[in-house]
Amino acid sequence: MESRHSVLLLSLVTLALSGCALFHRHAKPDDSAQASSDSDSNAPPPTVIEPQVERRTIKVPTIHPSNVEIGAYYGELSIQDFGAQPVYGVRLDYHISEDFFAEAIYGRAKAGFTSFETLSNIQIISDAERRFTYYNLSLGYNLLPGEVFIGRNLAMTSSFYVIGGIGSVKFAGDQNFAVNFGAGFRVLPTDWLAVHIDVQDLVFRSAVTGEEQLKNNLQATIGATVFF
Amino acid sequence: MELSITTTPSTRRWLNRYLLPVAALLLALTLPPRAQAREYLQLFVVQPYLELHTAPGRGYPVTQVVVRGESVDVLMRRTDWFKVRTERGIEGWANERDLAQTTLADGSPFQINLGDRDGFTSHRWESGIFGGAYEGATLISAYQALSLTDHLKVELSASQFLGNLSNGWLVDLGLSHVFMPEWRISPFVTLGGGYERVEPKATLALPVSSSNQTAYVGVGVRYYLARRLFLRGELRAHEIFTNQNANEVKNEWKVGIAFFY
Repeated sequence: MESRHSVLLLSLVTLALSGCALFHRHAKPDDSAQASSDSDSNAPPPTVIEPQVERRTIKVPTIHPSNVEIGAYYGELSIQDFGAQPVYGVRLDYHISEDFFAEAIYGRAKAGFTSFETLSNIQIISDAERRFTYYNLSLGYNLLPGEVFIGRNLAMTSSFYVIGGIGSVKFAGDQNFAVNFGAGFRVLPTDWLAVHIDVQDLVFRSAVTGEEQLKNNLQATIGATVFF
Repeated sequence: MELSITTTPSTRRWLNRYLLPVAALLLALTLPPRAQAREYLQLFVVQPYLELHTAPGRGYPVTQVVVRGESVDVLMRRTDWFKVRTERGIEGWANERDLAQTTLADGSPFQINLGDRDGFTSHRWESGIFGGAYEGATLISAYQALSLTDHLKVELSASQFLGNLSNGWLVDLGLSHVFMPEWRISPFVTLGGGYERVEPKATLALPVSSSNQTAYVGVGVRYYLARRLFLRGELRAHEIFTNQNANEVKNEWKVGIAFFY
């Protein structure tokens, strides 16, 4: 019992002491401030001249990254069974390293007529369904980097690359998973401009002409991109 | 003028809808980037010399060197290469590994993210492309992640699924926690919510499109390949909040290649 009382008493004393410290914490600075101001009024004015120059904040210039390519292309797409038609699209590339780049493409074309349709004069798909749109997400590899020379004084960096990816094709009233692979050639007349020549195969499974089969759709395009 | 006389209304509409925006875009793209007076970062060579290549690539010839004590201005960066200008006004490309051995004007070393294992552990952005399956339908997916810390990332992913019975879209926003980012094989868990759009194919009796909110939980693993590339695979379980009596659970798996920067 006694020890319990002593613990209680001790804790009360500790609390009281800490409480006093709290009061003093506020009181003390005032006292000392008064004292110092008293001593300041007696002291001679400071003779050190404080420079009135504002400190400059030095900003380290940032480095401009230029790894993104945005552009458009135009060419010919051979839609299996539906003839070769003009194709156009937009592309976005991101250069991951010296060797690899990622690419997103969105393109569209309009299919022609199958030989059956031409001979029989019966349309197997409607005009709206002839719209062929696709997108790809691909990874490319700069297989043969190099230079092209035009005349004696002009050298432009270039690269022959291989590319492959996945995406989808919307055609004939259906949307299908598609795989794309191919190769291309990129020439840079300046650091910010590139000219591309690409050949790719878009492969997807479709039953538009009767039985379901793999459709190979080869496209050859020429395009221009700008680096950002 | 002749064009407007000979075109049919549908052709004109097509021109207005597609060709004009594309032409405007092309014109905008082919204009040179905005020229502006800017200050360049100045770096000092402290090694015996700094090699400058003619173009950004390891195979392009070295035609210039900058000797110790001289400085270069860094004009721009393309992947692992920096275009620099010497004090004599000569321009060339320096590799990041060589440039990492230069100093700033105050003598402190120039620090850059080199795109190696350390970069894999600690980076700001990552992106990737996936293939997989969502409830049996083929899935195509892409994601973008912003690192809050080495462990915690905010992830936005967009996917399209293409099945026999229906097609659709998924957009997800969530958080992922990487347990051991410094490991070559690092596992992670992910949690978030999103939006699902299902468009049944016309062959079904009652093709009704539906849009629902979703929540997901997932686990995955990242495997560092080389440079800035890594493989990533994950499993997700999506809870679909439908307006029917019971919610649906749909499973997703995907594997793909990703890169950090």
